[in-house]
Amino acid sequence: MDIVQKKKIGLIVIILAIALSIPLFVTKPYYIHVITMCLLWAYLASSWNLFCGFAGQLSLGHGIFTAVGAYVTIMLFNDFNISPWIGMFAGGAAAVLLSTLIGYPTFKLRGAYYALATVAIGSGVMVLIENTMTLGPFHVGGAEGLIVRLMGNAPAYLQFMSKVPYYYLALAMLVIVVVFSYWLKNSRLGFYLSALKEDEDAAAALGINVRNAKLVAAAYSAFFTAIGGVFYAMLIRYLEPMAIAGPMMSNEMVFLAVVGGSGTVFGPVVGGITLHAISEVIQFYFSDMAQGLHLFIYGLIVVFVIMFKPQGIIDILQKYYNRFLGISDRGEDESSVS
Amino acid sequence: MSASILEVKQLTINFGGLIAVNNLDMQVGYGEAVGLIGPNGAGKTSAFNLISGVYKPTHGQVIFNGEDITGLPPHVINRKGIGRTFQIVKPFGSMTVLENVMVGGFAHTSNRNKSKAIAMEVIERVGLQRKVNALAKSLTLADRKRLEVAKALATDPKLLLLDEVLAGLNPTEVEEAVDMIKDINKSGISILMIEHVLQATMAICNHIVVLDYGKKIAEGTPQEVTNNPEVIKAYLGDEYEAVIN
Ligand SMILES: Nc1ncnc2c1ncn2[C@@H]1O[C@H](COP(=O)(O)OP(=O)(O)OP(=O)(O)O)[C@@H](O)[C@H]1O
Ligand SMILES: [Mg+2]
Repeated sequence: MDIVQKKKIGLIVIILAIALSIPLFVTKPYYIHVITMCLLWAYLASSWNLFCGFAGQLSLGHGIFTAVGAYVTIMLFNDFNISPWIGMFAGGAAAVLLSTLIGYPTFKLRGAYYALATVAIGSGVMVLIENTMTLGPFHVGGAEGLIVRLMGNAPAYLQFMSKVPYYYLALAMLVIVVVFSYWLKNSRLGFYLSALKEDEDAAAALGINVRNAKLVAAAYSAFFTAIGGVFYAMLIRYLEPMAIAGPMMSNEMVFLAVVGGSGTVFGPVVGGITLHAISEVIQFYFSDMAQGLHLFIYGLIVVFVIMFKPQGIIDILQKYYNRFLGISDRGEDESSVS
Repeated sequence: MSASILEVKQLTINFGGLIAVNNLDMQVGYGEAVGLIGPNGAGKTSAFNLISGVYKPTHGQVIFNGEDITGLPPHVINRKGIGRTFQIVKPFGSMTVLENVMVGGFAHTSNRNKSKAIAMEVIERVGLQRKVNALAKSLTLADRKRLEVAKALATDPKLLLLDEVLAGLNPTEVEEAVDMIKDINKSGISILMIEHVLQATMAICNHIVVLDYGKKIAEGTPQEVTNNPEVIKAYLGDEYEAVIN
């Protein structure tokens, strides 16, 4: 094992050790909750990135996948007592189905059709949920939302009294999505997505079935996003259509991924954690001053980063990372953070 | 099975009144290198787009290796064994040369290491080995054209369509590229190439087809074609003297 390899493994071990020990130092439930939300947003941004970042497709409606994942899972749990551990796969499958239904007609077309379709369907789904009280045997709750049936401390039903298990769950989910991203990026499909992101005609001329590649990647993205929605529901214990399906949810995933560095494996993680932490801090200090001031400041930060670092924060970190490993910024070692 | 790897029959495409390719009949024999020449706007690239599936013909047929492939989508046609380059080169700019070629290499394997091995071999064949880890967008035009060829080659085609890979190169680069294309052809890959650089085309191809306003106006050996009065009038014009003398 060479020195670069050792340094890489060392870095991973250190980061994981810090992440695993955070609940030992941070004991206030509120802070644990905030940190858990940072991890969840990093997870959601990474899930969005699996398709949209890697393939350069703009989805402004990923909130439909968090919503579908969460609603299907919670309805199965509330009305049929199916554990969310199992229900989440039904929620994920529903999201995959929805993603394919949207992608099949739109991926055939060039241009902004997919983005437009996601916006339209995104708001459509939210309004639909807001106006649906019941669906067959299921209680949906309409605009009032849906309360998760509480069971006390019931690990088998993904419910815990303490905030700490949620933290570790979010951490595990983040690790899984990062490992999956890394695998995908370096697989044949990953190469295909990078290629079609740059030029669909050139990709097709090399034998790539562009529509299929997009459909598969979009399905992965929808599934991971849906599982994030389930986690969100179990953590908050309450589903509000506006929060889980609305434009805030959809846009946030895009902001975090783009600010961090979309199309890279670690960019959305960095973006999700730092930007969400910043948003919590400014919300804490500024939200009392004037209604919406914190959102304004947050928006300015997003615009600022996109203007001055269009490749995202990860681009800055990459330089330090390369220096740490002792490799030049370009060439030699082909394995890189991104 | 027919005697030709590619047979184009009455191929026609009509762009809202403009007939870019008009009743084109032509063949490429197994292992042969055929040149497709003609003035600007003659319909050469359109013919490539019809063969490679980018456009669906208004009329006519494309037979590849004895199979009718008319109207199939581009990725299917590539999988059947037709590789192509683009006149306006299309490198995957933010990927390295190796990664660009590996995209092609994945046509026949899902294994990353195998695709890499295929790519490295092809990169050597086109003479890009010193640029393996360079980003495609940092390449010179000559190297970008080599990269176009390498990507197509990595998909292991039986027939390679080259659209003006010599255009814009200096004389030394043209010479190197001609040798590269000859090598590819010698390795058993049939070639159909569009070119404006006539001497180079003649050095590679023993059969040339001439297009003008979408129609085939002549075909034959380089000598036959350059001596054909129709060709002289339509295409070579004043340049004719310069080329022949
Ligand atoms: N997609 C299209 N839609 C409409 N017209 C087109 C299209 N593609 C090509 N044409 C027209 O068809 C004619 C033939 O174009 P083509 O690109 O095939 O010529 P060419 O022989 O490759 O020329 P050049 O030597 O300049 O590359 C031109 O008049 C061109 O404007
Ligand atoms: Mg052309």
